[in-house]
Amino acid sequence: MDISSQVGGAAVLLWRILVRLFPPRFDKNEFRKCLYSMGYQSLSIMIATAFVVGVILVIQAFVFVDRYGMRSQLGWGAGFVTIRELGPVLLALMFSGRVGAFTTAELGTMTVTEQVDGLRCLAIDPISYLVVPRFLAMVISLTALTMIGNAVALVSASVMGDIMMEVDSHTFWSSLFSMLKVGDIVLSVTKSALFGAIIAVNSCFFGLGTSGGAPGVGVSVNKTVVSSAVAIFVVDFFSTFVLG
Amino acid sequence: MIDLLDIHVGYGGHKALDGLSLHVNDGVLLGIIGPGGCGKSTMCRVIAGLVQPDAGEVFVNRCNFRTCNRHELQSAQKDIGVQFQNDALFEHITVLENVEYPLKRLTDLRAGEIEAKAVETLAMVGLSGFEHRLPNRLSGGQRRRVALARACITRPGLLICDEPTAGLDPQTSRTILDMIAGIRYQTKCTVLVVSSDVVGLVSISNRIALVWSGKVIEEDSTTVFRQSERKEVQRFLDDARLPFAGWAWD
Ligand SMILES: Nc1ncnc2c1ncn2[C@@H]1O[C@H](COP(=O)(O)OP(=O)(O)OP(=O)(O)O)[C@@H](O)[C@H]1O
Ligand SMILES: [Mg+2]
Repeated sequence: MDISSQVGGAAVLLWRILVRLFPPRFDKNEFRKCLYSMGYQSLSIMIATAFVVGVILVIQAFVFVDRYGMRSQLGWGAGFVTIRELGPVLLALMFSGRVGAFTTAELGTMTVTEQVDGLRCLAIDPISYLVVPRFLAMVISLTALTMIGNAVALVSASVMGDIMMEVDSHTFWSSLFSMLKVGDIVLSVTKSALFGAIIAVNSCFFGLGTSGGAPGVGVSVNKTVVSSAVAIFVVDFFSTFVLG
Repeated sequence: MIDLLDIHVGYGGHKALDGLSLHVNDGVLLGIIGPGGCGKSTMCRVIAGLVQPDAGEVFVNRCNFRTCNRHELQSAQKDIGVQFQNDALFEHITVLENVEYPLKRLTDLRAGEIEAKAVETLAMVGLSGFEHRLPNRLSGGQRRRVALARACITRPGLLICDEPTAGLDPQTSRTILDMIAGIRYQTKCTVLVVSSDVVGLVSISNRIALVWSGKVIEEDSTTVFRQSERKEVQRFLDDARLPFAGWAWD
């Protein structure tokens, strides 16, 4: 029913963001604050998530490589899935829950208490001032955090492999580096940047579209988290399909 | 000068403004009254350029809001101060920073001058000593006064106050209305005040407009307005005069 209007509205918002990026017209101060709260302050939770992802992945991969007698390929088995698929997706879902939900709640509250109209009265464009800095900060933060997370997941996988499966870390890393292609890294970076953009556009779109007082903010947060998750899976499918 | 001609604003199927017309001359203090949900706030938002009407013409200081481009609209908005019904204070910065904010964004005064002006304006609304509090540590009436200070610090040519007295005790309500009248006296600006404190509003306004289901049905100088024969006007004034006419539980 109104899914099409939501997708349309989000597309219009994305267009408005892009128009203000070339040439860049946005609030640098707000951007710096967002980068700190969204990127730096998410670091610990993202590292914890990545650590667990690495541990789980190596346990799952071990079952396969052991069955086919290819323990030496454990590093590649775990690394391939982490870098290409699970790292970007799981970290993006985590990011959406922490940063996306917070951004919607923040912008939603500003909208229902007329703070956004207050800005417009001062001839401040809410998109340049509120949305573009958040968009850039989320894309950059999620990409950087995913790269850090991938590294953490691989380190935790190699340590677990060493301790539990008696695959020494030298074998782990050499199997990983001999099979890993530049394209895998490119795919990981592309996915995380796309996921960051999805979360940013969704959270700002639903935040600024909030109506109906405090209960409306809850509704918007809910919509952001659900629609971001759906969009992440859809885009994940297509980007894997297209980029190999 | 404000001219609204046959304004229509709809939300979904519901008409918030339904053919509203209004003319306000410069320097007038116009009191706006009307039952809840009749479209007073929507009218204020149209005049402030925050809502584009579905049909009709809006002229504020000779700028046509329907045909002008974004820059013309923005420069017209710089001369309008709005106090919103929900105060719209920025919650993450202090009272002083809230009041300084419009000057920081709209002028290129030095930081020292901005602070001095903000402190002076806060004193004018009786909030000296509250400069470094966060808005969520203030009472409703104090928040209202911060919002008023923020709306008038740039000395706008047009000041719009949407329900500056909502939820306040009668005394504070009168104080705030008097402050608004004082601001107009000092700066000679045009003022629109929406308030349900009809008696207080009548005592400070030159003119009164009654909004009724999306239209201005009566607009006249205060003295003439009070003598109007219209039954809506009389009902509204009577209700204001005798809120609990003649009944009690015991
Ligand atoms: N964002 C919105 N979405 C849908 N309907 C709205 C919206 N804003 C206002 N309305 C409707 O438009 C009508 C006019 O609203 P408005 O806020 O202008 O009334 P008001 O006269 O200011 O009321 P009050 O005295 O209670 O503040 C109301 O019936 C309201 O339900
Ligand atoms: Mg209102």
